[in-house]
Amino acid sequence: MATDLNSEKLIARYLLGELSEEQQVEIEDRAFSDKEFLTTITAVENDLIDEYVRDEMSQSERRQFESRFLASPARRKRVEFARALTEIAPEYALAERSVVSPVPVSWRDSLEAFFQSLNPVAKFAMVAVALLVVLGGAWLITQTLRLRSQLTTLQAENQSRQDQRQTLEQQVDQERRRNAELTARLNQEKQQREQSDESLRQLSETADATTPPARPVIASLTLLPGISRGAGDKPVLVLKHGVRLVRLQVAIEPEEQFKSFAIELRTAAGRQVWSRENLTARSRRGARSIGLTLPATAVKPGEYELSLRGVKEGGATEDVGFYYFDVREK
Amino acid sequence: MDGSPVAHQKWTLTQEAFDKLLIALGDNRDSGGQKYLEIRSNLTRFFEWRGCSFPEDHADETFNRMAKKVAEGEEIQNPQGYAMGIARLLLLEILKGRQKEQTALTEMGHASEIYEEQDDGENRLTCLRSCLEGLSPDNRELILEYYQGEKGEKIQNRKKLLERLGIPVNTLRMRALRLRERLQTCMEECMSK
Repeated sequence: MATDLNSEKLIARYLLGELSEEQQVEIEDRAFSDKEFLTTITAVENDLIDEYVRDEMSQSERRQFESRFLASPARRKRVEFARALTEIAPEYALAERSVVSPVPVSWRDSLEAFFQSLNPVAKFAMVAVALLVVLGGAWLITQTLRLRSQLTTLQAENQSRQDQRQTLEQQVDQERRRNAELTARLNQEKQQREQSDESLRQLSETADATTPPARPVIASLTLLPGISRGAGDKPVLVLKHGVRLVRLQVAIEPEEQFKSFAIELRTAAGRQVWSRENLTARSRRGARSIGLTLPATAVKPGEYELSLRGVKEGGATEDVGFYYFDVREK
Repeated sequence: MDGSPVAHQKWTLTQEAFDKLLIALGDNRDSGGQKYLEIRSNLTRFFEWRGCSFPEDHADETFNRMAKKVAEGEEIQNPQGYAMGIARLLLLEILKGRQKEQTALTEMGHASEIYEEQDDGENRLTCLRSCLEGLSPDNRELILEYYQGEKGEKIQNRKKLLERLGIPVNTLRMRALRLRERLQTCMEECMSK
């Protein structure tokens, strides 16, 4: 600002015609090559005009000003404008003061001024109140933080409980489904057993009434593991005339420990002719076997394959063995 | 009030000479025209600063003389500098003429011409009030505050303005100048209605 002022003073002297020709030329040359400097000259011109209309100039300055500034019509207009602005400005300054808020003061200055205006007792009271406010605020913050922490812990625990409850509900649901499945299987098995028993009863009655006692109505065959499809000594089930039921005794290895067994009987061409699930093995004199009774109409003369699958606790199945036999009529 | 320079008035500016001048000022007629306006504005300011009564007329006379030189085959390397050279010679002539006039008037017992303000002050104030109302509150506050106070007080006011607005000195100065010009133009237009 100091440098600008010095420069502005020089410009003011130029504008009042107080400089030598050499200095005037210097200023003019700079003004026409430096737009910022040109602006400064115009600003100084306005300030001089304002000083003139406000009567802030010395007598000699006024004379110089009048001889220079009031010569041209354009400058006279500027002087007239400055006079009007000077005359009108106080009206606006008053109006602005009445509607515009006072110059903003920093809160520190306000606080300092407020404290300075208090007497010693009031100052002490203010300090005590301020101290209480600070301590109370600190206590409140601590409490808030503690409660927030507790709330977070409780929320986490609640979430954990909800997760456990959902897991248990899922387990109960699974158990229910499994139970229903087992019940359905049991019912199916019961039905099949009842049908088989009914067939046997009917056959026995028929046999008693029509067939001579010497003629067997049940053909039986024991199937042993380890006999291959192409083996020459495959067991043969002979279906004599009048045979209504076939009893198959499927021997299994003693180490095959499964919850239950399932059997499928297929022709050599792979067509399933009979099947049964939920079968249990029985032990007799150290040997284990599964007994099956099926209608004789289920099998026709030909080669057959019986596949035995073991069912584990989880429901998964595993092949236990394949048994091959031939059926012939006599 | 200015003395009339008679020595160069016989030559008159023709359209052809003016076109040649424009081409001499710039690469083409358009750029020459722009340069012409820029130099004319500077010349007007120069004659105004030097206290001449008719700065625009003197600026035109400077161009007349420059055009004559160009028409005579003179090559101009630095148009602004060349124009200023002619303008300073013209100023000397004006000052000599003014001295002669002053001497004659003094001998005749006349005082020098004194500027008197025209008596349309109330109209001027009404117009200026209206123009100030047309400014935004910020601009109105800026121009009133910028030009408010006596010398020392004015400097303090401007410092406060700078701190409050947070802008460089030159920017503030430029804003104040433009606002002042705008207000003056507005007031003059209002008064001419």
